[in-house]
Amino acid sequence: MDTPRNIPVTILTGFLGSGKTTLLNRILREEHGKRIAVVENEFGEVGIDQALVINADEEIFEMSNGCICCTVRGDLIRVLGNLMKRRDKFDYVLVETTGLADPGPVAQTFFMDDEIRAEYALDGIVTLVDAAHIEQQLGRSDESTEQIAFADVLVLNKTDLVHDDALDGLEARLRDMNRMARVVRSKRAEVPVDTVLNLGAFDLDEVLGRRPTFLEPEYPFEWTGVYSLDVGRYELSLDDGPDPSMSLVVVPDQGTDDAALREGAEWCVRRYAEPADLVRPGDQIRVGEHLNLELDSPGRKPFFLEVDTPVRVGVFTQHTAEEFDLQLTKVDGATPTANGAPRTEEAVPVEVERTWVAQHEHDDEVGSIAIEVEGDVDPDRLNLWLGQLLSERGVDIFRMKGFISLAGESRRFVFQGVHMLFDGQPDRPWGDAPRRNQLVFIGRNLDEPSMRQGFEACLT
Amino acid sequence: MSVDRPQGVLRRGWSAEVGDYAIAGGWTRRGEALVVGDAAGGVYAFDGTSGATIWTQREVHEGGVLAVAMHPNRPEFATAGQDGRVLVWSAADGRVREALDVGNGWVEHAAWSPDGTWLAASCSRQVHTYGPDGEKAWQSDDHPSTVSAIAWSSTGDLATACYGRVTFFDASTGEVRQQLEWMGSLVSLVLSPDGDIVVCGSQDNSVHFWRRSTEQDSMMSGYPAKPSALAFDDSGTLLATGGGEEVTVWSFQGSGPEGTRPGVMEHHVENVTALAFARRGMRLASGARDGDVAVWSLRRDGHGDPIGVAPVADVVGDLYWRPDGRALAALDAQGGVTVWRVSK
Repeated sequence: MDTPRNIPVTILTGFLGSGKTTLLNRILREEHGKRIAVVENEFGEVGIDQALVINADEEIFEMSNGCICCTVRGDLIRVLGNLMKRRDKFDYVLVETTGLADPGPVAQTFFMDDEIRAEYALDGIVTLVDAAHIEQQLGRSDESTEQIAFADVLVLNKTDLVHDDALDGLEARLRDMNRMARVVRSKRAEVPVDTVLNLGAFDLDEVLGRRPTFLEPEYPFEWTGVYSLDVGRYELSLDDGPDPSMSLVVVPDQGTDDAALREGAEWCVRRYAEPADLVRPGDQIRVGEHLNLELDSPGRKPFFLEVDTPVRVGVFTQHTAEEFDLQLTKVDGATPTANGAPRTEEAVPVEVERTWVAQHEHDDEVGSIAIEVEGDVDPDRLNLWLGQLLSERGVDIFRMKGFISLAGESRRFVFQGVHMLFDGQPDRPWGDAPRRNQLVFIGRNLDEPSMRQGFEACLT
Repeated sequence: MSVDRPQGVLRRGWSAEVGDYAIAGGWTRRGEALVVGDAAGGVYAFDGTSGATIWTQREVHEGGVLAVAMHPNRPEFATAGQDGRVLVWSAADGRVREALDVGNGWVEHAAWSPDGTWLAASCSRQVHTYGPDGEKAWQSDDHPSTVSAIAWSSTGDLATACYGRVTFFDASTGEVRQQLEWMGSLVSLVLSPDGDIVVCGSQDNSVHFWRRSTEQDSMMSGYPAKPSALAFDDSGTLLATGGGEEVTVWSFQGSGPEGTRPGVMEHHVENVTALAFARRGMRLASGARDGDVAVWSLRRDGHGDPIGVAPVADVVGDLYWRPDGRALAALDAQGGVTVWRVSK
């Protein structure tokens, strides 16, 4: 469906008041050289003359088989079916949905109807989010959640009405729900037009390029600092931070290159799987154990580390060092005394530090799953697995995208889907690039381990 | 498929062009003229024999023509368009006799009642009817969705299709006489000549039909695409359906079509877009996205053979037999109008 002559279609969704019409008018103003058709519901207020504005009631047509995945927008089929007959074709079609619209039927229309599929290509789903109200909306309505889950671009709008901290939290929550989408912040929907149009939204390369950590595993820690330590006594101190406690593991003999850091991280993940011992300020930190530092008292809190032989340690912490102003200092051999006996103090510099993609608390039922595996896939096994997955879980899978290395195929196989509808074709040759598979699923209550296992069983 | 003579019964006639995608058209009653409306909103009349342009009116429907309806017994026709209007034309000189403002939305369908008294036009969720002098007769309440097709019954009722149902209205009062329900998006509608059989193509790639007298319904499923082209022959025996590359013909003779095997006409390599039966005899014309037009000679059991094939420039928009059955017109997506003479 992605041949060059197909007319790109962008779908604008978002609750009432999220800024859809403002964005629409902005796009039309900036793209004034283009021929754009706008399909909007009867309450829309597009005020730009040169665009062809077609008012269409959203007509959601279910099929007699009762399958929600086959539900389409009948009005779009009619309207777009007529528009494609004109000789002076449109460069672009924008479809504005009503606030409470489920984006499923709109997206499915571009898969389900042969005539629409032959002439148009879904370029992207852009969801406007009212930063001040989305938290309430997410709690109250499925539509709001689905609009976020379906998006290729999330425009976090009206950011001037919300504190930065809250925005960061909100953005993290949205990313948790939809790791595939690009998140753009704006005040009055004034986002660059090229962030919402001509996305080639199904080019996963671009998604990956934008967010290199996208497919990385998540870790139970966010930060690692590597320190070279001589024999002696060290104080690890932390200032007041966002949480009353923080867990950590100190890894002995930690290397500094990337491979060594990953190795340390994997070792650490296993320590993190064990229950943490509570450590109070003034207590000793034991190397190689999962510890939970108690941080609920005000001011800087010291913990101590004894080193018998010179060693390089990796300190893997649940939060970043910055959040608690974590410092490591060498204190002299003597135990500090209550009477304040003199001692020397020397800050130990961090030799290497890095951050990790932290595991978030997944409060929302809706989330993303990314699978990345090297190797070739057997097409028959893939068909069987995907067929079964989509027939059993299609209702809960909102969107999927990815590329696959099919055995015997010199080109990448690129696919995308909406609910149980699936569309794919070979794209560019692999060439010298390593052959691997990258898949992203966004859905409700997805079972990541079983999906991962299912996909891996398709490898040759 | 092998056709002994590539053109078969189709003989060279004439061709012409309109300004944009040729959306719809029709022959005047005696075949004197062929009128065509295009996607740029223009309306054209061509001499039925020579193809010479009789008159042209460009850009009369802003946004494009959506439907053309030929008057059954006067040299007049109606066009409907995206501009929300219906225009009633004199075919001879291209003069607009009536301009009817139907509504704010697109007027997608227009049809004259079989006796030529009433003109019906649908606009979004309503259908409107007009009397002999263009006066408004009645308008329906809102349908549950946009009206997707309309058809007059030989018994004088107006039928509308929309999502989930077919509704029959009394021609003169607009009173609802019957509703036939089916949960599905009905995209096309045709009535048997006696008015008893009501057939709809559905978005879910099936054909649904009812018998008005018993309200019993049946479904033919398994089409690879949505059956947007449907046609009944004049005797009411054969129902031709698109819905894929094949033309599937169901026979209503005896106790059929339930439990019978349809005739399957194979020639097209892309989806069928247009079907038309010649007024008498069992000749069916089919057109497809592949730009081919085929003519089939069918038997009463629905099976048959190709008797003529010819290409046009692009996707076949619609097909119209001249009332005497001796010529066939095809409209295409490039704005081409092709007319063949048809031998016996």
